[in-house]
Amino acid sequence: MGKGKGQIHNNIRTLRFHHNEMTQTDLAAQVGVTRQTIIAIEQGKYSPSLEVAFRIALALGVQLNEVFWYDPEGDAE
Amino acid sequence: MSMQQRNTVVTLVSFLLILSFFCVRVFQMVQTATFIAPNVFRLWIIIAIAVVAMSILGSILAQITSAIIYTARTNEAPPDAEWLEDERDKLIQLKGTRVTYIVASLGSFIAMLTFVLNRPPLVMFTFLIASGLVAQILGDVYRLVRYSRGV
Repeated sequence: MGKGKGQIHNNIRTLRFHHNEMTQTDLAAQVGVTRQTIIAIEQGKYSPSLEVAFRIALALGVQLNEVFWYDPEGDAE
Repeated sequence: MSMQQRNTVVTLVSFLLILSFFCVRVFQMVQTATFIAPNVFRLWIIIAIAVVAMSILGSILAQITSAIIYTARTNEAPPDAEWLEDERDKLIQLKGTRVTYIVASLGSFIAMLTFVLNRPPLVMFTFLIASGLVAQILGDVYRLVRYSRGV
């Protein structure tokens, strides 16, 4: 996560469920990252690069802002 | 645990063993008053060969165990993604390398201080090698901590 206030949230877990209950392994394979990276992103421990974020949105068949959103008031780690 | 994490664990264990061997041998030499150039040079060569051999064998060992664990768990051959090194892995590797460089630099500085204390060059080079091994170990520990935290 970034420094200071603000946090990036995501909706990946819900979107995976609505996308034929896609597994983390399947999503990781489509995006081109490891399953551990998908887990870290889902848990909000790691903010992916813009390219990976777009690839996740593409794999889930939604717009980027439906997957990730920024909360300026959230506490970043 | 990803393949990169297993690789880091294997490297960490390898370097711990090498450092232990190095410390024991140096201690033995000091105790028996055989801390002389030929013996120390021989030890450096052994350490250098061990580092190269353990790095190569460790990587192969980590890949084989990863494949065995994955196959035993899923009854399928591991997918290509299992061997992948993505942006998060690269970021963690870089952070670990930074720690390694900082510790190695501090170790080099301390090794230089041995000249100030009028110790022979053998002592300085022994400190240099030890600090290099410690730096690698601390870098690996830092990488494992970052992996457990996400990044």
